[in-house]
Amino acid sequence: MKLQIKLVLYNAFSKTLIMSALAFIIPMLIQKIVYNHLDKRLHAREEKMMRMIRIGGLKEIAIDQDCSFDSYNIFKEEFVSISPIAALPDDFGKTSITNSERIVDNELLKHRVLSQSFIYDNQLYKIEIGEGLSSADALENSIRNFTLKLMLAVVLFSIFFDLGFAQILLKPFNKIVTEKLRNVKHPSSFNLTPVRTHTFEFRQLDQSVNEMMSQIKEAFQLEREFITNVSHELLTPISILQNRVENMINDPEVPEDVVNKLAESQKTLARLSRVIKALLYISRIENEQYIKNETAELSVLIQDVLEELDVLIQDKGITLQAAELEAYTFSPCNRSLIHTMIFNLVSNAIKYNKPNGKIMVHGSSQHGNYFLRIEDRGIGIPEDQLPFIFDRFKRLRPEDDMGFGLGLPIVQSIAGFHQISIEVTSEAGNGTSFLLCFPGQLSS
Amino acid sequence: MNVLIVEDERQLSHEIEIFLTKQGYNCDVAFTGKSASEKIYVNSYDFILMDVGLPDHNGFQLLKETKEMGKDAAIILITARGSVDDKITGLDLGADDYLPKPFSLLELQARMQAILRRKHGLKNNVIQIHSFAMDIQNRTVSHDSNLIPLTKKEFDILHYMALHKNRVITRVQLTEHIWGDILEEDYESNYIDVHIKNLRKKLSQFGNSDFIETVRGIGYRLNMH
Repeated sequence: MKLQIKLVLYNAFSKTLIMSALAFIIPMLIQKIVYNHLDKRLHAREEKMMRMIRIGGLKEIAIDQDCSFDSYNIFKEEFVSISPIAALPDDFGKTSITNSERIVDNELLKHRVLSQSFIYDNQLYKIEIGEGLSSADALENSIRNFTLKLMLAVVLFSIFFDLGFAQILLKPFNKIVTEKLRNVKHPSSFNLTPVRTHTFEFRQLDQSVNEMMSQIKEAFQLEREFITNVSHELLTPISILQNRVENMINDPEVPEDVVNKLAESQKTLARLSRVIKALLYISRIENEQYIKNETAELSVLIQDVLEELDVLIQDKGITLQAAELEAYTFSPCNRSLIHTMIFNLVSNAIKYNKPNGKIMVHGSSQHGNYFLRIEDRGIGIPEDQLPFIFDRFKRLRPEDDMGFGLGLPIVQSIAGFHQISIEVTSEAGNGTSFLLCFPGQLSS
Repeated sequence: MNVLIVEDERQLSHEIEIFLTKQGYNCDVAFTGKSASEKIYVNSYDFILMDVGLPDHNGFQLLKETKEMGKDAAIILITARGSVDDKITGLDLGADDYLPKPFSLLELQARMQAILRRKHGLKNNVIQIHSFAMDIQNRTVSHDSNLIPLTKKEFDILHYMALHKNRVITRVQLTEHIWGDILEEDYESNYIDVHIKNLRKKLSQFGNSDFIETVRGIGYRLNMH
């Protein structure tokens, strides 16, 4: 889930929680205040009534025979009632205030009622003073409704507000992620400009990311320089030796047996320089020093490689099946690298084949991707060695001393450079199959 | 033919000098960019072999200077840096060719010949190899007006051997010329032998191909008198 949404949801949740607590507490508080108010009024009235009784006597007020008295105002909002009671109540002398519902003239009325017992003229009386609760209830209800609505509005508003705010707040963060981390593949395209933000944490994150990226960039630069230096330092002496050997081979004064040895030395030198060149080649590909802006017609390229290697295929008596080669334009790519990759794979298929063996090359496009299968019926690769075939200098067949083990690492780095995936299946004694998937939508 | 070798590695420039002198070139050597610049200014050369990685001078700078002086010497860049961009930069600045170190001296000579052919538009594009006629322009070999169907590689091998006639060409030298930059790591392979075998077979259908001599353990030689 996106951080922005998370922040908003969390905010909305906590606000709803606080709001619902408030929606619960506020009406309660209001009720308490209203009751307090009412109770004060009831007490004042009771005191007034008692004063009237004490001064004027009960008969003055209660005109009934049994000295009872009931008085409602017109809307039955208030009432006073005095009635004689027979037994002494438990709470004699205490004033109690309760809410009570009673039916007066077929109308259910809710009142806040103060009741108290008193003795007058040796007779026990109970006085009840009531105050209608309907208006208080109505007030309470409308306040509750109002607060609920208000809070709902506040929560909704705050969600929208938070969404916008979180977006603004997280903008530098998103910028760091998309511009600096996600869309960047190679150190040469690193973006080191600081992201503008006032948020301390983001500034720190940006700084750390920048520091890390400059370190990586520096390391890449160093590797690049290292490659150049190594090339120069190693290839120059080899160059001297090679040319000297060439001059000596053609010197008529050099005896024949020495010439033979020189020719052998020339082979060794060539081998040394090939290994160095292969390593540098891999480094350069992985260092992205090759430009990938060409288009290659894969079927033509494959045909070229097959033609180039045809003499060897024929010399070994190998049958080549390359009938199904669908045309496909692969771009952007580096044609010479793709050529080398296919060359190395076909060359491997020849090298590790059996006499009168078979090579099958098949290319077809599917869902916009191009699948190239280079398969041989050769000696195959034992299962335990299959995971290591792309490792540099891993000699797969120590017994027959074939190759320097750099052909497949080159294939892999070229494939990686072009986002081509390789799948290898092999069976010892039965052949190997390389399945290459050229991506249709290649990002440059 | 006057050649200037601009190379700070003295042993290397010495070997190149020995080789080219034997081939009949007049060689001059410069170890620094400064002296090279002076020599180029004063003298007139047909070829300048220029190392890109000079200690006191950027080779590309020297190349620019030479072009600015209006010298029409053919320039072959030599470099051990082997950067991909170097080649493009060099050719863009007007170099005629580019040779990455280490290179074969025979390859150097072949490149020089190719430049001469290109620059001077040599009319005589047909080399007679015994009873065979090699047309370099159209890349064909014929015998009594019968065209011999050679592959591209077979033609290249025969051409290279004719260029270095009467001289042992080792398998390494031939392989380097034929396969060039392709990084086929299996150097012990018999690619060249197979090509030569096929070449002989095709030629002998028309005439005697004994002039291609196998020098045991070393390579091949095209004998011509």
